[in-house]
Amino acid sequence: MTINRREFIKANAIAAAAVVAGISVPASASNLITSSELTKLKWDKAPCRFCGTGCGVNVGVMDGKIVATHGDIKSPVNKGLNCVKGYFLSKILYGKDRLTTPLLRMTNGEYNKNGDFTPVSWEKAFDVMEEKAKTTLKEKGPTAVGMFGSGQWTVQEGYAAVKLMKAGFRTNNIDPNARHCMASAVGGFMRTFGIDEPMGCYDDIEATDAMVLWGSNMAEMHPILWTRVTDRRLSAPHVKVALLSTFEHRSFDLADNGMIFTPQTDLAILNFIAHYIISTGRVNQDFVKKHTNFRLGETDIGYGLRPEHPLEQKAKNNGKTAGGSVPIKFEEYAKFVSTYTVEYASKLSGVPESNLIALAELYADPKTKVISFWTMGFNQHTRGVWANNLVYNIHLLTGKISTPGNSPFSLTGQPSACGTAREVGTFSHRLPADLVVANPKHRAIAEKIWQLPEGTVPSERGYHAVEQNRKLKDGELNFYWVQCNNNMQAAANTMEEALPGYRNPNNFIVVSDPYPTVTAQAADLILPTAMWVEKEGVYGNAERRTQAWHQMVEAPKGAKSDLWQLVEFSKRFKVEEVWPEELIAKQASVRGKSLFEILYKNDSVGKFSLDEVSDDQLNDEAREFGFYIQKGLFEEYAAFGRGHGHDLAPYDMYHEERGLRWPVVNGKETLWRYKEGSDPYAKKGSGWDFYGKPDGRAVIFALPYEPAAEEPDEEYDLWLSTGRVLEHWHSGSMTQRVPELYKAMPDALVYMHPDDAKARNMRRGDLVKLISRRGEVQTRVETRGRNKPPVGLVFMPWFDASRLVNKVTFDATDPLSKQTDYKKCAIKIVKV
Amino acid sequence: MPSNTVAQVVKKPKEYHVASFVAQAITSQLSDVEQAITASKGSEIHAVTPEGKIVFTLEASTQQAIGKLIDKLKYHTGMLSLAPVYHQYLNENNEDN
Repeated sequence: MTINRREFIKANAIAAAAVVAGISVPASASNLITSSELTKLKWDKAPCRFCGTGCGVNVGVMDGKIVATHGDIKSPVNKGLNCVKGYFLSKILYGKDRLTTPLLRMTNGEYNKNGDFTPVSWEKAFDVMEEKAKTTLKEKGPTAVGMFGSGQWTVQEGYAAVKLMKAGFRTNNIDPNARHCMASAVGGFMRTFGIDEPMGCYDDIEATDAMVLWGSNMAEMHPILWTRVTDRRLSAPHVKVALLSTFEHRSFDLADNGMIFTPQTDLAILNFIAHYIISTGRVNQDFVKKHTNFRLGETDIGYGLRPEHPLEQKAKNNGKTAGGSVPIKFEEYAKFVSTYTVEYASKLSGVPESNLIALAELYADPKTKVISFWTMGFNQHTRGVWANNLVYNIHLLTGKISTPGNSPFSLTGQPSACGTAREVGTFSHRLPADLVVANPKHRAIAEKIWQLPEGTVPSERGYHAVEQNRKLKDGELNFYWVQCNNNMQAAANTMEEALPGYRNPNNFIVVSDPYPTVTAQAADLILPTAMWVEKEGVYGNAERRTQAWHQMVEAPKGAKSDLWQLVEFSKRFKVEEVWPEELIAKQASVRGKSLFEILYKNDSVGKFSLDEVSDDQLNDEAREFGFYIQKGLFEEYAAFGRGHGHDLAPYDMYHEERGLRWPVVNGKETLWRYKEGSDPYAKKGSGWDFYGKPDGRAVIFALPYEPAAEEPDEEYDLWLSTGRVLEHWHSGSMTQRVPELYKAMPDALVYMHPDDAKARNMRRGDLVKLISRRGEVQTRVETRGRNKPPVGLVFMPWFDASRLVNKVTFDATDPLSKQTDYKKCAIKIVKV
Repeated sequence: MPSNTVAQVVKKPKEYHVASFVAQAITSQLSDVEQAITASKGSEIHAVTPEGKIVFTLEASTQQAIGKLIDKLKYHTGMLSLAPVYHQYLNENNEDN
């Protein structure tokens, strides 16, 4: 019996891998399938919980527990493959310190900011939260209430949170951790194209001739996309891979042209490529004339620091005009980039001239189809929006865009940074479907869909992520709810900004999380959260693919999803307690109602009955609230984008499909946007139609190289770059709890060039201190590992809660996107 | 690794784990990579292509053991990528009852 079952599951394993690889294996290994064995497991599909790639996973449940997972062979994204994180995915649910009860800081049975965490009931937890929220609203008004959310929220959770904050509490102080990850990409898209998210898709990989990785270490951060890149490179020998980074890493193994550049000089390299295309006569004149405009951007825009910082005092254009630009002609643009000669770019960046020319040739050669990939290298950059604009420039100058294999591709770090943070608009300045709070017409659209009186949504942009920590510290933001992220570990300059803000006695901090993260431990109230397939949800990946999944297992008793928490909490507020009388008077029907009834249990979100949830389908939230809330939220949210270039399919369709790439028009997904024939929104006869801009033209921006906010000097003599590793996802709050992943990469080490170590009399394994102007952190030296920095730069990952590198980093941000630059600051290293 | 907040005493169940993988290796170092795989206990190669793709399985009594083998293999010289595809385990306690 045992032998047969073993053989059976082994045969399944072999068959699955062979299909994935497109290889046939001997029949004896694959013909053992018996139907009775298959029925013991209940299989269902879900997108992976980790990065923005959006791999499909099949989850096998037996007796209420996940016992098998494999890459979904039907998923067009990963075609059955997994990465090591995905392989251990189900284990994130079963960490030994999973939280199952609310914990409140208490002394003698009462809430006390300096008390110890004490288990309390949900009732008691919400009582205290309610009292704190109401007091804050009464004494300080809506601007003192805020929320920090996530690109890991489901679409429905993000949407419910936006409604609760922007309409219910009437504050725009809601921002996602995607601010740390995607904001510059969003800024780049909006500035160049007037509409967010990539035009191409992963199918570009199999159609291209060349791939350029700008900073990105895809081998570790996007391993499944990397297998597709590797497959393309190995199976089509003419394909070239070029790679730029500030240090050597795993992805260099596949690179034909690997380049190490001095931090911040990517701006100069990008302008050099534009100059090279122009000076060698390879501009696609027809495309440029028909489909682009040229503009000169504002410069000297500061570094997004507190206004009193000397760098801000010095900057000329760090106010509201920082994003400004004026129209110019092609000749003026050509003159602007002409100073970025190969000699100048090489001198500034340290990359040999021949490598730079080989790189530029991939873009310039009209016969070479090219993809540019980037993630945090461009986005976590004090000129991140510029870097995004500049890479679009070179694709637009050559017309290499929106056709198979020609693709400037901004990758994402979180599973729903696109779907939830960007498309739902959980940012402090945004509303769903690229609408913004500052635009009265956009607010009116939101108020109409939400069936709320005019003037409900405030017009002032709220506090963004970095500003939230500053305002907590300054005592201006007092009731603060953090869901689905670990910002005490993730935010830069922890010791000067984040921690003092959370521990400010005037503030009440709530953190919802499945595990006792660093952030949870800095809070006043911790709420235990259900995660991933313990609830129903939708994620949106980096190629505009929207994917849905069902609840497959029960959450541990006591843990509740973010959606349940938001909606249940809304029941505690009568509209009279949160809105002024003059607003209520505009719409008498809201009078006497709770926020729950106004925002959720209404004839829009509440219109899908429980009959639509089949009896054998788990769905805790729908059953508890008495209606199919996930479908109601999704359908109401989808109304924002349908007919406006952001069309989503009917909700039920996503439970059948392996995701669909929006816009989905007449049941058909869109692979390449802006190209006539492949995008239903591109006008007939246009060829290309960049319809995000009123005149259908994308913008080529003249923007210069400007130095980093902080560079090494005599005292702080090393560049510090931070980032991620293969085994751990972001702050490690999930993957550090998987024993296999923890053992594979237990501690965050500082990767250092052997000469730098020798010069400081250090050896591999030595305990050292990294010291910046802001703080210090201890770790051990690694001179050999997988990351090989050049002399003068060190790399330390940030997944490790026991050694927080963000005590050292600098909260300098891109003044346009408000995203922090985690890749560049100056430190010194001393032996302990 | 975060410490346990609640100590748990669990009788270790007897388990059988199997996992399958697709690896991509630099073709000139293919035989080297194959050797590294077959040298691991519980491994078996089922197919290899001239372009450097290898389909193999790992069998062990714990998922940790499979994790260790992955760690050993994933940074082997010549190994460009290593992707797990399928994993399942059997609880074999009381199997004969």
